[in-house]
Formats: sequence, C-alpha cells, structure tokens
Amino acid sequence: MDLHRRDFFKVLGATGITLAVGKELEAAPKVKNDLEFHGILYDSARCKGCRGCEYDCADANGLPEPPPNKDIKGLRKPDDKHRTVVNEYKTSKGIVYAKMQCMHCNEPACGAACLTQAMTKTKKGPVIWRGDKCMGCRYCMVSCPFDIPKFEYHSPNPKIEKCTMCFETRVQKGELPACVENCPNEALLFGTRRELIQEARRRIFEKPDLYYDQIYGEHEAGGTCWLYLSPVPFKEIGLNTSIQTASYPALTKGFLYSVPSVFVLVPALLLGIQQATKKDNLKNESEDE
Amino acid sequence: MNSSHIISADNDGKSIRKFLLRELKPKGKWLTPFNIISIPIIILGIALIIIRFWKGIGAITNLSQEIPWGLWIGFDVVTGVAFAGGAYVITFMVYILNMKKYHSIVRVTVLNGFLAYLFYAGALLLDLGRPWNVINPIIGNNFGVSSVLFLVAWHFLLYMIAQLIEFSPAIAEWLGARRAHKILSGMTLAAVIFGITLSMLHQSGLGALYLMAKEKIHPLWYSEFIPILFFVSSIFAGLSMVIFEGSISHRVFSDQISNKNHKAQHGIIQGLAKICAGTMFVYFFLQLLVFIHGKHWALINTPMGYWYLLEIIGFVLIPMVLFFYSYRTNNAFIIRLASILTMLGVILNRLNVTIIGFRWDMAVRYVPSWMEIVVTLTVLFTEIWIFRWVINRLPVLRESPKWANEEKALQKPAFGDKHQRA
Amino acid sequence: MDGFSYYNIFDTKGIEYLVIIAFLLLLIPFWLVLNKQVKVKEQVSKSLGVLKAAILNIPQGIFYSRNHTWAYLGKSGTAKVGLDDLLLHITGEVKIQQLKNPGDSVNKGDLLAVLVQDSKSLNVFSPISGTIFNTNQVLNLKSNLLIDDPYGKGWISEIKPSKWVSEIASYYLADDATAWFKKELERYKDFLSINMQKLSPATSMVVLQDGGELLENSLSDLPDEIWLDFQKQFLNQV
Repeated sequence: MDLHRRDFFKVLGATGITLAVGKELEAAPKVKNDLEFHGILYDSARCKGCRGCEYDCADANGLPEPPPNKDIKGLRKPDDKHRTVVNEYKTSKGIVYAKMQCMHCNEPACGAACLTQAMTKTKKGPVIWRGDKCMGCRYCMVSCPFDIPKFEYHSPNPKIEKCTMCFETRVQKGELPACVENCPNEALLFGTRRELIQEARRRIFEKPDLYYDQIYGEHEAGGTCWLYLSPVPFKEIGLNTSIQTASYPALTKGFLYSVPSVFVLVPALLLGIQQATKKDNLKNESEDE
Repeated sequence: MNSSHIISADNDGKSIRKFLLRELKPKGKWLTPFNIISIPIIILGIALIIIRFWKGIGAITNLSQEIPWGLWIGFDVVTGVAFAGGAYVITFMVYILNMKKYHSIVRVTVLNGFLAYLFYAGALLLDLGRPWNVINPIIGNNFGVSSVLFLVAWHFLLYMIAQLIEFSPAIAEWLGARRAHKILSGMTLAAVIFGITLSMLHQSGLGALYLMAKEKIHPLWYSEFIPILFFVSSIFAGLSMVIFEGSISHRVFSDQISNKNHKAQHGIIQGLAKICAGTMFVYFFLQLLVFIHGKHWALINTPMGYWYLLEIIGFVLIPMVLFFYSYRTNNAFIIRLASILTMLGVILNRLNVTIIGFRWDMAVRYVPSWMEIVVTLTVLFTEIWIFRWVINRLPVLRESPKWANEEKALQKPAFGDKHQRA
Repeated sequence: MDGFSYYNIFDTKGIEYLVIIAFLLLLIPFWLVLNKQVKVKEQVSKSLGVLKAAILNIPQGIFYSRNHTWAYLGKSGTAKVGLDDLLLHITGEVKIQQLKNPGDSVNKGDLLAVLVQDSKSLNVFSPISGTIFNTNQVLNLKSNLLIDDPYGKGWISEIKPSKWVSEIASYYLADDATAWFKKELERYKDFLSINMQKLSPATSMVVLQDGGELLENSLSDLPDEIWLDFQKQFLNQV
C-alpha cells in the first residue's frame, strides 16, 4: 500500500531532520507558527448590502451572475449556483445585512463525514472540496450543522458547491479571497484567526453601543474560521444560535473510538464461547452413542 | 404459486460450462401472479434508472438541499440492512452456541442476507452522485478514516465476502467441486466469527451515521444511543424477517423440503419467537432509559410525541406481548402476525430517524416521489427473482448431496478419545 | 486543540485499523497452533513405537469377543461392531472389504468382512447375529479412521441384533476385558517367539526389541504364513 510506505518515509525523514535541526529550534524563542488557521471576519455593522461580494465570488469561481436587486424577494440561501448570498434583515436596530456562506469550522463536520477526504480542512484554515475524490454520497450535507454544502441534483456529474475561501486560486498564492479584496466598506477582513478575534474584541470594546457583545464563530461548533460581528443578536440576522459549542465530529468520537476494542474483544469472546459449547456437545454426543 | 419447478440435479464434477448454460435457462411457468406484477415494475424501474443517470438524481427524486437522503438511503439501505440481520443472529446461534435445532435454516438465511446486502449496496450506487468514484475509499484515493460512513462502507464489503464464504459450500455442492467444498467448509467458523463482529459494528454504524445531525433529527429519536438501539433492534428485525420469509418459502418451495425439515419448522419458529420476545423486552427498556436520559417528556404531548408513542407501544410492546403469548399457546398464526407487526415497527423506527424525524421542522416536508418508490420496488423484486433462481437450483432448502453429508459427518468430534485406558 | 491551528481527533484511526487487520490475521494461526500443541503430545507418546498393555484403548462399556471384534448396542436399537485396538496396533494400517450389504442377515461367526494389507488378509467374523442395517462407507476414504477411532468412527457394520442378550453373555466387559487384553498381549508375544524360530534372526529384530519389548505394527512385516497362523490362533474363535 503506497499510503503506508509514504507515511513511513515521512516519519523517517521528519525524524532525521528533527535530529539534525531540532536542538536549534528549541534554543530559539517560540516563533509564531505560520501554519495557523486563517479566516475572515465579517462585520455586518459595516456591511452596506451592496452585494458586490456575491458578484466577485461568482466571477472568481466561474458561476452564473447573481440576480439583480430588483429580482430579489425575501430571504435567500446559498444554492448549487451561488456560493454566498447577502440578505437584508429588518431588526430592532433597523436594516442590517448579513452574508451567508460556509463557516470553515475548525473541526468541520463535513470533513469528518467525508469518507474519501474530498471535503477536507486545509492546514491553513479553509475547508475545500476536491472533485476527483468525491462520490456524491452527500453525507457532508447530512452532517453540516449550518446546511452549507449544496449538491447539483440536476447534473449527471454533480458537484458540491460551497465557499472555499478561494483557497486554491488565491489564498494559497498569498492573495486575498475575492469577496474580501473588493469590499467597499471593509466589512470583510482576512487574517489569522487569532488576529481576527483580537480585532473583533477591539472593535466591540471601542464601540460597545454599536456591537452586540459576542463574536459568532468564536465557540460555535468548536470554533469556526469565519467570524461574525453584529449590531443585533445573531438570531435576528438569520444565524443559527442553537449550534453546540463542542465540535460536531466529537459526537461520533464515542462510536469510532470503540470500534477497535470491539474488533479485538468480540472475535476472542466468540471463539471462547464456541469452544465452551463444543465441549458440552461432545459430552452429549458420546452419551447418546 | 408455481410448484412445478423441476429441481436440477447437482453437477457431479462434470463439465461446468455446459452445466451453467443449462442452469441459466428459466424453469417453471412464466405467468405467475408474482411475475405479472413484478415484470412491468422492473421494466419501468430500469427506464427510470436510465433517466437518473442521464439527467441527474433530482430528475426522479424529491431530494433537496436540506434533505439530501431520502427513501433510497432511509429505506433501501438502512431498513433493508436491519432486516438482513437474521444472518448473523442465526449463524451465531448455530455455529457459536451450537444450537443444532436451527441448522436447517442457516443456508437460506445466509443466502437472504447476502442477496440483501448485494442489492442494497447496489441501490446505494444509484443514490451516489458519482458512482464511478465509489472505488476511491477502497483503493486508497484518500481513506477518510474519521468517517463513520467509511467504516460502514468497508464493513459492507467485507461482510459480503464473509457471507459469500459462508454460503459457498452450497455453491460447491451444486457444481460438484469436492475439494473446494472441503476447503470452504473449513473456513466457515472463521467467516462466521468475522461476520458477527462486522455485523455488530455496521448495524450500529448505520445509526451512528446520524450522530452528527444533532439538531436536525427530532429529539425523541436523536440520542447518543442510536447505534445501540439500532443494533438491538436489528436482532429482532432479522429474526422476524426469518420467520416471515420462512413461512412464505415453506409454502412456495414446499416440494424441495424434506419431511424432517417440514416438521421441524414449527419448533424453529417457536424458538425464534421466544428469542424475539426476549430481545424486544430488552429493547423496550433501552428505549425507556434513553427517553428518561433525554428528558424530553414535554415533547410527548405533541403530534410527533404521539407518533413516537405509537411506534414504541404499538409496534414494539404489542408485538412483544404477542410473541410471549404465542410462545405460551403454541399458535403459529399469532407468531406470524407478531412478526409482521415487528417488521412494520422496525421500518417505522428507521424511517422516523432517517426521513420522518429528519428536519421534521421544515415547512415543506419531504415525501418520496412515485419514481423513487418504483425504483425501490425494482430493486426488491429483482432480488426476489435472483433468490428464486438460486433456491430452485442450489441445495439451500433441500438436502445436500450424499458426498457432502459424509464429509460433514467426518468433521464432527471423535468418539472414544476420552474413555479409560487400560 | 487551541482552536488556532490544525488538529485531528481521529489521527490514529488509520493505524488502528491496520493493527486490527493484523490482529485478525494473526489470530487464525495463533489459534491453530494453540490447539495443535495438545495433539502433538499424544502423537509423541504413540510414536515411541512400543506396544504395551498400558497404551491400549479399552472402553469399559463395550463387549469384546475373543476374535478381537467388539459390539456396542446404541439407543436406536442397532449395534455397531468393529475391530479392537489391540488387533489394529498389531496389524498397522489396513483396508476393510465389506462382504455384506444392508438388509443381509448374518449369524454369529459368519464372515463379515476381510481385513487387507497389501497382499495379506485376515478374516473378520461377526460377533453377533442379526440383520445388517448399515455398513461404514467412509472407512476406506480416510486412511487413519480405523486406527485413530476403532470404537467410534471406525466401526465396520451396524447390525440390528436378533439374539443380543444370549450372544453377548459370553463376551468380555469392563475389568474382565482389561484383564483379558493383557493376557492376549502376552499370548501374542509367545505366539511371535514360537514363530520367530521358523524365520531368520533378522526378521525377529523387527518385531522384538532387544529388551524383549514388542514393537508396533509387528504383523505388517511378517510373511503370509504367519498371517495364516495368526488368523487360526486369534481370529477364528468368536
């Protein structure tokens, strides 16, 4: 199995390098790991609802143009042709806009669910979908608490559409995601998750009347890389507030962790029972004879 | 039904190719009631499947972005596999606990189980968006080991192989392959132990699939104990299916069954009824514990709550009582009635978790389209066709050929080893 | 698990699955070896090669006839008959030719079967009268059946007896049988020493050890005349 051999060489290589270089690194002060999660902070207090991000996203990902404002009636959700939408909400503090897209969870349910690792959490933060591996089982859709992955039901070769934070096309090359780059009011901010949370806290601290005192995504689903700031409670702008604070894959932990134990104990137990009942059978038979 | 099937002689090691060609020809009447109903549906189903591959899944199903899994997964896969649980329970009883009484039904149950998994895994391929990529988790185009579905998929594959090994002595007898028969019979115990372990894990695994959909399934059906409940209910689901299907086979294929097995049938059904009653008793208390643990008693007084009570009391408690009663009064009719109620209860339970309780809060609920139902029936009928083909040709219900029986006798433990020496 | 960099709660799952596969694959040979140990010890003691009374298998509930056949009545009303352990230790591996078919009637002392080794043979006379119910068809399929299990799977015929009580009254049972076997062994040793004088000294080495102990399968190396004599002295009286 190639996987096995590759891993072996990886470990061997890593060990070698560590032995050679390890001491130096320990001596040096702790450098901030460049491979920290990167995310996006969306500030709906700054968002003016221009929906420019929708058009940029469609443009960057080869999707059809979103409908113009006059054609929109009511709230929309992302679908298999639109990876993000901006909705208008009438709230207690007036009109507030909210952008909907994949939350890029720290421990994504879709990533744990995907049996081919087509949905995968990259080390840099974004959760991406790799088409060459996907079999279209839609288990990611069942598992996602935010109901984000969208399936092309009317195609013979269906894709899963969701926001990828422009990872392969931009972020990996060091550029900003499409929606962040052109936001006119700087409602979208890209950076490491650590920095984003600090920035969000700073904004709340500096303008406590403007913001609702919570960062959506700080603890939801075990933490997400897409964070929200809002002038009103999150429920009023259509965000799901019944998301648990533990990660979703942790819900399957109990089951998956017990699988190896069952595999080892049950065959041994069955073999034992079979031997025990076999002896009884022998006694019965020989008495009959 | 048709009892004029000519039972073929076993091939005594002669030319296999000619033998197979002869066997592939259909036997018996063409216009039986079952055939008349099933053939048009199968043809329609095949047409729908072609449309599905041409125009996408959405063309023939009512699935949506919020409801990605519908009848095909909820019924064909999850419920179908629960009913195939008879195979691992019966092989456990016969090969591990050495309950010789049930030996005569092992083969037909394993055959049923194997065909069920084969066809429901096949139905799964219809539901996949990109079925050609299904080999990815097998060949290692990234093993998603964190996924419960990965575990379930691999178990299905391995379990089908184990069942094939368990069933292969019957195939060897049919083809007259004596040496193969010997080797395969020796592997039976290993295959049985492997199969039981796999079954325990994937019956519960099918329940574990829904663990991450915590807020999407109605609280009365969602709990961390879904895997255990699914596993326990698969025991009596499988046995009820064995009772139900056994009653039908005994009448349809009665000319193949020896007198001895005919008389033993009643005793077997009674024994199975007893086991069902006991397991359902345990299951009922497990459900009670889960209910108390969840603290959702306020929800009982809602429409979904009444539905939950119907499932538990109407389709678990009542059949359990019927099984107890039938065991005491020795009434075969009540056993059959109870087994049908139990099967309906299991279907209800599985559909409640996967379809009815899944996103129960949506304004527009998911209802399967007639096309989904037709495709499901196509899969089911095709499976019955293959089952009938096998029963009429292989020594499953009828006795094995003589040479195979002699071999089996030789494998029993020797007499005289333990006696006193001079 | 700080929420700021990559972590995977299932990162050892892949290796765990591989270990499970290894465990299951190793379990099979492990189990087979564990069971073989027991059998090996028995084989060793047998293959030391000396035929002594102590190693004879003499089930205490079986009736033994003077011609080294046995009979055992089963619950279904038919009796199984066969050859005793001592005879088989003496002859070694043999084949059985059945002379009767199911349905035939047989009397005590009738020729029931012939025991064949290469070109030599011995006649087996039936210890009881009755109707043949079944003959053992698998005897010649498995070569060691007769020697490994002479009182169980190595039965020769199954007979529905007509005069069970009167006929077995004269046969040996339990302690009497054990005592009789010891005497028979001594009688056989005497038989051999008498016959040895007729043969060359080389042959006598094969059947008797230096210390006067009897070796296994002694009859198999001896010529036809000795077989005929053995038949007269040991297998003709029922």
